[in-house]
Amino acid sequence: MSGIVVHLPQAGGDGTGAPGGASVTLRLGPGEVARFGRGSATIPVELRLDDEAISRLAGEIRVTDDHWQLSNHSATQSYLVENPEGAGEYLRVPPRRAGAPIPFEFSRVVLPTRRGTTVAFQVFAPDHVYLDPDGMAGQWGNRTVMAYSLDETALYFLVLVALCEPRLRDESPVAVPTTPQIVERLRGHAACGRLRARAVSSHIDYLAEEKMRISAPPEHGSGGARRNGKREALVGTALRFGLVREEHLALLPPRAAAGIRARETGR
Amino acid sequence: MHGRGDTSGSDLTEPLPRGYRIGGWEVTEPIASGGWATVYAGRPAEPAEESAKESAKDPAEESAEVALKILPTSGLAPRQARKVAETARREVELDRRAGHPRLIRLLDSVVISDPDRASLDGAIVLVMERAERSLRDLFDAGVAEADVARLFAEICEGLAHLHGSGWVHGDLKPENILLMADGALKLSDFGLATELTGTDGTHGYAPPMGTLDYLPPERWQAPLGEHGVEIRPSADIWALGIMVHEVFASGASPFPGATPVARGAAVQEYADGRAPLRIDGAVPPFWRALAIDCLAPTHADRAAHSAESLLARITARPTPPRPVRRLRGTRAALVTVAVCAVAATVWSHAVGDPSGSRDEPAGRLTVFNADDNCQSRTDRSPQCSLGLAIDPLLPYTIDNVVPMRVWHGDVLAVDCRLAQGVPIIDESDASSTEWYRVRLPAGSSRSSAWLPAVRTADHPRVPDCPRPEPVR
Repeated sequence: MSGIVVHLPQAGGDGTGAPGGASVTLRLGPGEVARFGRGSATIPVELRLDDEAISRLAGEIRVTDDHWQLSNHSATQSYLVENPEGAGEYLRVPPRRAGAPIPFEFSRVVLPTRRGTTVAFQVFAPDHVYLDPDGMAGQWGNRTVMAYSLDETALYFLVLVALCEPRLRDESPVAVPTTPQIVERLRGHAACGRLRARAVSSHIDYLAEEKMRISAPPEHGSGGARRNGKREALVGTALRFGLVREEHLALLPPRAAAGIRARETGR
Repeated sequence: MHGRGDTSGSDLTEPLPRGYRIGGWEVTEPIASGGWATVYAGRPAEPAEESAKESAKDPAEESAEVALKILPTSGLAPRQARKVAETARREVELDRRAGHPRLIRLLDSVVISDPDRASLDGAIVLVMERAERSLRDLFDAGVAEADVARLFAEICEGLAHLHGSGWVHGDLKPENILLMADGALKLSDFGLATELTGTDGTHGYAPPMGTLDYLPPERWQAPLGEHGVEIRPSADIWALGIMVHEVFASGASPFPGATPVARGAAVQEYADGRAPLRIDGAVPPFWRALAIDCLAPTHADRAAHSAESLLARITARPTPPRPVRRLRGTRAALVTVAVCAVAATVWSHAVGDPSGSRDEPAGRLTVFNADDNCQSRTDRSPQCSLGLAIDPLLPYTIDNVVPMRVWHGDVLAVDCRLAQGVPIIDESDASSTEWYRVRLPAGSSRSSAWLPAVRTADHPRVPDCPRPEPVR
């Protein structure tokens, strides 16, 4: 349980992010607080949102248990917390609401501005805990459980299954798919129609760094090709500890019979 | 938990009939079932005519009851079946290499071949000594303090042997500590037991599994390698500290929270120095000091306390001067408790690791409230809260305290000592000009504040503070 990650992107052409500033990434542990707003010399904020419509102290984020809470210090503005993977799912946090619990693993916090545009930042909560699949829900308190859990409905999980697919099907004991191959493989999936290579790469980074905290133990890290090290370590670990199993192959879109494979091998 | 996959329509839960034969053993009754195994009581089977007397068994074993731990593999993909086999292998290997009277003995292992019961065909069965009950059952029933010493001495004996043989248990908890019919205590469930490797044998790699309430702080952030997560004997020592607290605090963890996940977050806050360790007032002084040492926030701090050294402390522990519990509420008893607390805590720091990395506080102290009505309260009532000063050179007034309050029994991280601050007189007329600079949780408006020395009975060995600059 390492807490949450808050990311304020650099001001982009889409009018979101920190106007005029560089991107900011904060890592908060359980119990830690980050304030956001326009800030000033007397009202310091950890996350500076430089827009005249935003209060000096617009709100704060507090990490609690495996999730986080959002307090809205504005007296007039509601904030929206969107789940980018939730097909439009969002929460509205009304003015002066203290400590609203946010259930999403991925969130985009959106604050309105006067120009009809918005300022937004992202919050990742990778520590959400899932029960083990054997369904002994009632009394999990004292049970031995897998200490790493993945949301099997999340896009990153689809990417992980696609990464593991060749080995799960015992097709290729060595090869781990490349990013373009994953984009191609997931194209037929309803949620992945617009999945781009960059998104696949960031899902892989998120899995490796936040979800599974992949590391090659120092005394075993000798030699080998390092180029694909991260993907291979992800696949090796996910399969070895049963995080991805044969039954998860059903999550992938059906393979276009021989079509894709023929093209792959034909190259 | 072991990736059983889709269990709909499976007959895994269908109980085995009495008399069902498994190798040379037969089932008598179900004991328990968990995610990856079902445990039945059993006994040696009557020798069947066709296979009569192929092996001469120890007569004592002949009549003994056994536990049959059944690890099904059917319906599992090959990879998961291998993992179950790996679990069984750990148990068998550990028994072969590190058997000991304080570890549950493995009598036999059998693979079921029964095509008529698809769910059991191929299951691995570990045949073990039969225990009467677990430490959890005992905790639930309540344990007298005299028995606590024996129980924990025996746990430490088992752990000392395990660690000495180069293994970490990895899932130590009251459910996995068993009591035999004759009262003897044995550690069990070595499915996550890990052999120490590395050049100096200090750590091993375990599957990324465990019981949330007993995981040490470093596990919550441990990286996962292809061999698993790094685990060291100090993980078992942490679990021991949790259990010491549980036995005195009606089964409650020292970490607050309604769910294991919330308590895990509290463990992180404590380990990061943002929250003090709050030991329940019901834990007697000796055990309190022991628990605090077992629950040292980092592996390095905990490494100073081996199962062996803890065992020595428990064996040599001073017998409580009076049956304190019966006197609860009287002034005399509280004074006794306070005096014991001083002795035990000072000692715990004397044996603690004096070296410390830059991030480590120079010492720790336990807050002491001279008002004895407050010492017995654990509800953190505002009337019993104590303040921390912003500036120890200014009068100790309402304007000169930080928002955070502390209570009797809180453990604070100390950086240094100031000999000449504003003199403070407490409720019992004790007076001192000494102050300790203590750390505040991150997120506080300041990183440190000052505790008057009269508010602790400890004397942490910390460096002298530089003279503080005026705050205002």
